[in-house]
Amino acid sequence: MRYDNITEAIGNTPLVRIDPAVHGLRHIDLYAKLEMLNPFGSVKDRPAWHMARPHLQEAAADGGGTVVELSSGNTAKALALLAGMHGLRFKSVTNRMRVPEIKELLLLLGAEIEELPGQSECLDPTDTDDPLTRFHQALSEPDSTYLHTDQYFNPRNVEAHAAGTGPEIVKDLDGRVPDWFIACVGTAGSSTGVARVLREHDPGVRVLGLVADKADFIPGIRTIDEVHQVGLFDPATYDSLASVTSQEAIDGMVTLIRRCGLLSGPTGGAAYQGAVRHLASVDAGLTGTGSRRTAVFIVCDRAESYLSYVRARRPELLGGTRRGHLVTSLTDSEVRAGARVVGVDDARRWMAEGDPRPLVVDLRGPHAYAALHIEGSVNIVDELFEELVRTGLPFSKRTPVLLACPVGEKSLRYAALLARMGHPDVRSLAGGVVAWRDAGAPLVRE
Amino acid sequence: MKDAPLYLRPRVEAPLASLLRDAPFLHSLCDALGSPLNVLLPEAVAENAARFRSVYRRHHLAGRVYFAHKANRSSALVRRLAACDPAAVGVDVASLGELRHALSCGFTGDRVMATGPKDREFLWLAARVGATVNLDSAGELERLARLVRTHGLGRVDVLVRLSEFESDDGHAGAGTRVLSRRSRFGTPVAGADELWDALERHGDAVELAGLAYHLDTTGLEEKARALERCVLLMDECRARGLRPRAVDIGGGFGVGYVADAGEWERWTTALSEAVLGVRPPLTWRGHGYGLRNEGGTVRGTAALYPAHRPVAGPGYLDALLSRPAPVLGRPPATLLLEHLNDLYVEPGRALVDQCGLSLARVLDVRPTGDDPTRHLVRLGMNAGDVSLEEHGVLVDPVLLPRGGGDGDRAGDGPVGVHLVGNLCLEADLITRRLVHLPRLPCAGDLLAFVNTAGYAMDFHAHHAQRQPAARTVAVTEEDGAWRWCPDEDYWPLTDPQGVPS
Repeated sequence: MRYDNITEAIGNTPLVRIDPAVHGLRHIDLYAKLEMLNPFGSVKDRPAWHMARPHLQEAAADGGGTVVELSSGNTAKALALLAGMHGLRFKSVTNRMRVPEIKELLLLLGAEIEELPGQSECLDPTDTDDPLTRFHQALSEPDSTYLHTDQYFNPRNVEAHAAGTGPEIVKDLDGRVPDWFIACVGTAGSSTGVARVLREHDPGVRVLGLVADKADFIPGIRTIDEVHQVGLFDPATYDSLASVTSQEAIDGMVTLIRRCGLLSGPTGGAAYQGAVRHLASVDAGLTGTGSRRTAVFIVCDRAESYLSYVRARRPELLGGTRRGHLVTSLTDSEVRAGARVVGVDDARRWMAEGDPRPLVVDLRGPHAYAALHIEGSVNIVDELFEELVRTGLPFSKRTPVLLACPVGEKSLRYAALLARMGHPDVRSLAGGVVAWRDAGAPLVRE
Repeated sequence: MKDAPLYLRPRVEAPLASLLRDAPFLHSLCDALGSPLNVLLPEAVAENAARFRSVYRRHHLAGRVYFAHKANRSSALVRRLAACDPAAVGVDVASLGELRHALSCGFTGDRVMATGPKDREFLWLAARVGATVNLDSAGELERLARLVRTHGLGRVDVLVRLSEFESDDGHAGAGTRVLSRRSRFGTPVAGADELWDALERHGDAVELAGLAYHLDTTGLEEKARALERCVLLMDECRARGLRPRAVDIGGGFGVGYVADAGEWERWTTALSEAVLGVRPPLTWRGHGYGLRNEGGTVRGTAALYPAHRPVAGPGYLDALLSRPAPVLGRPPATLLLEHLNDLYVEPGRALVDQCGLSLARVLDVRPTGDDPTRHLVRLGMNAGDVSLEEHGVLVDPVLLPRGGGDGDRAGDGPVGVHLVGNLCLEADLITRRLVHLPRLPCAGDLLAFVNTAGYAMDFHAHHAQRQPAARTVAVTEEDGAWRWCPDEDYWPLTDPQGVPS
């Protein structure tokens, strides 16, 4: 397929049937609408393009400006790319970037990120200086060059789905409307737009909206309180609202990835898991009636950006075992029995008169080392030293070594480990660099 | 479901829990000393200090925990802290009166940190007794130096309070700006060079002991950024020949007031629904605590303290010290240690967590005019006596029936009440929230507002309408029995009654 512009590749995403052996529903055909296959990677490509297009044309004519949106995820990603293509800047304003990979990805795409302040600890109830109010004031200042796409209130967010996603589903089901449509509620754009089109075709369609458990976090999904702050959210859109947890989202994501070949992120996983949970009881009720039903859910984006999200909640999924010597494998008594220590005075004598003199290794961070260190010491930061212990140390077993850390705790463990590895003369500086300083021994600056 | 009582029951830990179980003792105190009455547990403040210190130990950090005196005027708490290890516990005073009080409670000058806006008298006494002066601005440094020279006071240890770390983009991650609320205290980091010059110029009068900040936020990111920046600035100071030792990271460690996360979540969800009009109001005259309904969408931010905090106090300090710093990547605790810095903290609210309660006698109970299921409960206190609401803290009081026990009577059950004060003033509500109690109280019962020692006990108390101000007593537990004495008569001896041990 040949395009002049990548934006032409937005939409017309596949509708893929989920193998009944995976979901276990006997009377319902479950389809995944693969919005993750949009060119910028998510369901947000459609509204981002539809909302930004008029702004971009204006701005291109005026010669500049900054697209701005309250988003910490896929909308920001799509807008950053669209802004870049049109020679504009993009700024993402967000409470907190909660997924580090997405933040780094946005920076790679050239976005500016502005994180709003946290809640006040010493609360002043009369304070009207709400960060969001300030944000809106900045947008409406007379000389403002901001183009605010306003995804939570902009009707063009809904239109993008009413014109695209909804009709595509009907077309791919040969003109029929599914009996159920299941969507996660973020800006409410996709669920509202698709539901509108489906209802126009067949008022009998049931729409299930999924929200996150209140104390939980699923990327792109709002909690039951947060949806009330969304201008596009209308409770009448949904026949029912149900909540899903991050654990369910990851369960669903793993099922889609490992059994269906769908590289879905946690939001799609939540939609799948919420759909199957809801449809299971419906399915049981259909036994013996001879009728078949159809359901569609949306796979919002892809898995790759959520590794840290998974690691924080299900580390065993990203497991793997370490090899080689590990300082954590030593017990406290092994450390005490195996490590040699040397006090500040003896260490100074050893460094001055030893034959050979010891190599002094400072295990602290490079900035701390640069600020103040023992003259003649080399800096191998503990993280690197741990790596070297496993892969190969840059000094011989014949070299006597004095290890120094802030208070002599880490150095003690490494002294014990190196002794176990066959280094005959590795000693830990008792009390560390702090004791060295407190004894009045000299420290130098880089 | 919607009719289930929306409790926000308080988090109560020992020894406060044991005190609440002794309702006859609390009733007898109130009978003798009147309502309202403040009750303090000085032993609990010492335990809290020990908890903060254990976080220091875990990270091998040296330095003091300074109690932010402004959180509570009590003598008992300050005297009990004065009895703690001098190397571990100090006091942070924000006025001449607080400084005099701290000294009279047994703190020596070297354990005192003088913060906040300072007049000449405050500066003079702080310098005279060898307190550390936490400088707010370059102007204050000039005034202090002049005072030291004029009066021959000897070199004064100073900390420099810095601010506006967000606009300091020299070390921020490229492309990202973490915004912070502006503070009117401290010297912007961008102008710190002039401050270092001034410190060198006044080297005969002041000695830089360290750098300080205090950010009013619950956000760990903002604090970690400021802490890391201070560590790097400490090295810059040392490179200039100054000799700072400590980074003072201020307070704001937080307190969890409500025990159960689910109750807090249900109530805040219900508040949104009430603002939207899909459920009856949860508050006096439909007050929305800052939320408003604009065409079916909730706008605004709830001006509420996050009353359920899974991580607060010493745990929050631990989390701050353990998370990777934004630029250097190593945890702040490691940075402090490796760069040979001591750590100072100034907890107020968090240090007096679980250290006290405020008692009020129920004076009158009657149905509200419009809804017979809701009642007005008038208390022998006013909104100034327990300023939880003033600080956005929502938490239920504990009902202590007069006759002891649960006061189980026919027809009793959970009930929604409005708690109103003793002033002849429409606005005198203890809280605008409809409070659910396990049963309807009657005149003579007590309501115990738990965990008021931080800012809520005497911060806004007044003598308007010549209503009595609360007396304050200190209580200690010994062999299962509670003993009390007036706050001003408490000394950290084994027995507050003065009986030799």
